[in-house]
Amino acid sequence: MKAVRCGALVAIVMVVALALVASGCGSGSSSSGGSTASGGTVTLWHGYTDVERAAVDSMGPEYNATDPAWKVKIVFSGNNDYGLQKLLTALAAGKAPDMMYQYGSSLANLSRSPKIVNMGDLIAKTPGFDWNDFYEAERLACTVNGNVMALPALVDNLCLVYNKKLFDQAGLAYPTADWTWDDFRSAAAKLTDPSAKQYGWAYVNDGSEDTVWRYLALLWQAGGDLLNADNTKAAFDSPAGLASMTLLHDMAVVDKSVYLDSGNQNYLNLFNNGKIAMLWTGPWDMSSVNKGVDYGVQILPAGSAGHETIAGPDDYVTIDNGAGPVQGSWDFLQWFTSPKVHLQFAIATGDLPIRESETKLPAYKTYIARYPYAKIFVDNLSNVTKARPNIPQYPKISIALGQAVQGVLLGKLQPQAALDQASQQVDTILAAPAP
Amino acid sequence: MSFVALERAEAGTPLVAGPEPARRRRRPSAWHLLLIPLAVVMVFPFVWLLVTSFSTLAESRTFPPSLPAGFPLQWIENAVHNYSAAWTQAPFGRWLLNTTIVTSVVVVGNLVFCSLAGYALARLRFFGRTALFLVILATLMVPFQVVMIPVLLICRDLGLVDTLGALIAPNLVTPFGIFLLRQFFKTLPVEIEEAARIDGATRLGTLVKVLLPSMAAPLATVGIMTMLWSWNDFLWPLIAIQSEKSMTLQLGLSTFVGAHETKWPVLMAATVTTQIPMLLIFILAQRWFVQSFASSGVKG
Amino acid sequence: MAPARGDEAPAPARRAGRADRLLSSEHLTGWLFVSPAVLIIGLFGVVPIIWSVVLSFQSSDFVTTPTWIGLANYQALLKDPAFAASVRRTIIYTLIFVPVVTVASLAVAVALNRAVRGMRFYRTAVFAPVVTSTVATAIIFNWLLDPYFGILNAILVKLGIPAQQFFQDPSQALYCIVVMTVWGWLGFAVIIYLAALQGVPQELMEAAAIDGATRWRAFRRVQLPLLGPSTLFLVIWLSINALQLFDEIYVTTRGGPLGSTTVVVYYLYQQAFQLFNAGYATAIAYVLFLGILVLTVVQLVIGRRFVHYRS
Repeated sequence: MKAVRCGALVAIVMVVALALVASGCGSGSSSSGGSTASGGTVTLWHGYTDVERAAVDSMGPEYNATDPAWKVKIVFSGNNDYGLQKLLTALAAGKAPDMMYQYGSSLANLSRSPKIVNMGDLIAKTPGFDWNDFYEAERLACTVNGNVMALPALVDNLCLVYNKKLFDQAGLAYPTADWTWDDFRSAAAKLTDPSAKQYGWAYVNDGSEDTVWRYLALLWQAGGDLLNADNTKAAFDSPAGLASMTLLHDMAVVDKSVYLDSGNQNYLNLFNNGKIAMLWTGPWDMSSVNKGVDYGVQILPAGSAGHETIAGPDDYVTIDNGAGPVQGSWDFLQWFTSPKVHLQFAIATGDLPIRESETKLPAYKTYIARYPYAKIFVDNLSNVTKARPNIPQYPKISIALGQAVQGVLLGKLQPQAALDQASQQVDTILAAPAP
Repeated sequence: MSFVALERAEAGTPLVAGPEPARRRRRPSAWHLLLIPLAVVMVFPFVWLLVTSFSTLAESRTFPPSLPAGFPLQWIENAVHNYSAAWTQAPFGRWLLNTTIVTSVVVVGNLVFCSLAGYALARLRFFGRTALFLVILATLMVPFQVVMIPVLLICRDLGLVDTLGALIAPNLVTPFGIFLLRQFFKTLPVEIEEAARIDGATRLGTLVKVLLPSMAAPLATVGIMTMLWSWNDFLWPLIAIQSEKSMTLQLGLSTFVGAHETKWPVLMAATVTTQIPMLLIFILAQRWFVQSFASSGVKG
Repeated sequence: MAPARGDEAPAPARRAGRADRLLSSEHLTGWLFVSPAVLIIGLFGVVPIIWSVVLSFQSSDFVTTPTWIGLANYQALLKDPAFAASVRRTIIYTLIFVPVVTVASLAVAVALNRAVRGMRFYRTAVFAPVVTSTVATAIIFNWLLDPYFGILNAILVKLGIPAQQFFQDPSQALYCIVVMTVWGWLGFAVIIYLAALQGVPQELMEAAAIDGATRWRAFRRVQLPLLGPSTLFLVIWLSINALQLFDEIYVTTRGGPLGSTTVVVYYLYQQAFQLFNAGYATAIAYVLFLGILVLTVVQLVIGRRFVHYRS
């Protein structure tokens, strides 16, 4: 019967499909990339766009021209903001690349995967690599539990970027390298004009890490610390913590000199429009400043302990798809992060040098000539003496602290109460067994 | 209200149309007062999208936003720059092709399979019908982020990862289409169906020749919404596609969004380009929504 | 001729006559018609859901091997105040969003359901938000509702009302999201109703008019009952989507300020992709699933009682 035959056909198809699924359950993962043990192709996934993307794409053919045993394929795998999701799902599906660009904040958790390669042995076996040539901020960001789990891809830090015209209009002297918090606060107040909707300072207030890391710079400028030495308790509920929270409170709630950006980057647009006088930002924003804006760059003002700033390094993780691809990836990344090659990348993109030796090369002059503001950012790397703890619980800590800072800036929390709330939450987070 | 008249109408006797009540001529002007502000509110963001695609990069980086300078010549120059950048900075043509293929197949698949399933759920009594309907609806109730890894694993086992097949197969039939068409099938009078069956038509024949022609509006709705969702899907292509040659438009658009900087005019030019086809299709599809007016000749 | 023993006399005899009652052609035809749907939705919808239920009974973080912990995730959920708060917010959002969109879209659809000059433009205008990407929508609403530079505050101040903080105010942010999503979903709901209004036979409306009914009574007695099936569809569909609100939160407030827009799915996303608690996140998803399922069944049952299908 036609109907019965069709029904049977349907049943067979369904059974076959379910069998396929069942066979898929629990099967091992297969590696990506065609390869034999001695040669082949390794893939690098990245999320660079625009100028950086053009630069990194050109690195592929350049490296392959040196005729390595493992050629490299450079693939754009989607915006960096989705990089973590993309890697996690690729790992789960067993179709991960050999190398990938990741935000530094993801490393502590990512590196718990057995598929992420510990670079320590490879570095030890390569005397010319000179791990200590990388800036300390990067080395700290790539190290988890004493193991180097990634190689530096990018380093930056926060500096004070200011609108010269607004300073001139207010009759104020430009920020100097000796500025203190008081200088900063009074300048911001004088540069605020409610009738013209002009603000002295802008702060990203979306409660995310963007909100937290600027606060950490303040905390360190006041001589405070986020956690205690063995990362078991909160240490920011201290005089330094209170001083930094109070500064935020005074500027945002009392002086009302701070534009609170809700996370959609309007602060930059307002800066371009001459509505904001000072930003705490990094090299990534510099290319978005409109040409007509006359701006200057200076190091951050000093709290009681100095002009501390904070860096947000990103890195390349290597995924274990077999001994051969790991070696091939190491060969490429070694080449890519070598002084001469990376300086070439920096000149093309405006990214900061990742090795101190890059600043001694002759081509460095070209770099500075093309990006005059970069010199201050590079020199300011010496003011990065502390880093965020590279522990798996950091994302939770960030949320707790983000809410506290947000509450103070919105005037909903008093500084001490915010610190108490956050440090209690952080202590609870750290008391739970580590994953 | 007279139920007699209602019964007469339902029996299919055509009523003699009386003179048009005078009420109908006065009404439209009052509606305009309400509809114009509504239309402005609805359309405003899309218009802004369009205007941004006529701006320079520097102009897009100011806040609050303002109209770009130099209407109309500078606008045209900006547009030429932005739209051509959108098309050439990336394999836009390839993405357009991929998205068109995926969307077309998905729409056709949905129209066919959802009609079959919706009709069956509405009119055929078969064992397990209610449970099946609930199960179909239940698949809507889990956020995609939760199931996307198992779906990826299934696609991997079928060899579909990084192919257009991965984008097509899971979306070939959607609960939306089934649910909507089921509801609309239930509004059709059973008598028509029974008449056709008595005449010897098969179920399939009845469905195709008799019922579907009355379902132009809901079918158009399923077609348009499925087309829109497939065209604009971002998260699944992000997970399932690994190489650039298989990327879709939305995925590709993310290349214009930098980690800290976005080229808004080019992004908006690309967005406008990808959304204009949807709008055009909707405008054309409207005739299926006004069918009854054309046939009854009511004007006013 | 009276049908004998319940067999369908008019049906062409396709069976051998001895098939089991259960294998009557209507059962088979039914299953045949739904088989493509069953295959696709079964494979890509049902199987993944069952597969990931297993994950909710594990402690998993995507990166290391999961360990089995039974019901521990669910027990922790019941005691989690952040989860309870996210549920509360989601329910508030849904209770406002669904009725507002349903009623407003019906009104707009009725208004647009006439062959007046320019209706084609209005319909397209109402549909425009559906094609405006979430990102672009977020930018616009962020601008319109900016506390310092937004147009809305400029208008309010002119009217003598103090400037509001909107997205930056923990007590207002969720309602701003309501406004934004109502705006975004109205077009979709309107075309569903427009499609449904096409199904109202014109003769009925004319009959009502001839009987002297006002437009409003005609609407209430003729059109509204016939809109039952599509209203049921919309209420269920909008509820399912409202309870899973995520995208708009992701591109505007990111769960803030101060967590005031952290709805259930956003909380889930944080747990899974920021805090690496995959097992916990999946448990959240299943509690949400059960809630939505119960609500939908209730809605269908109520619908069965009040919605009149023409059969």
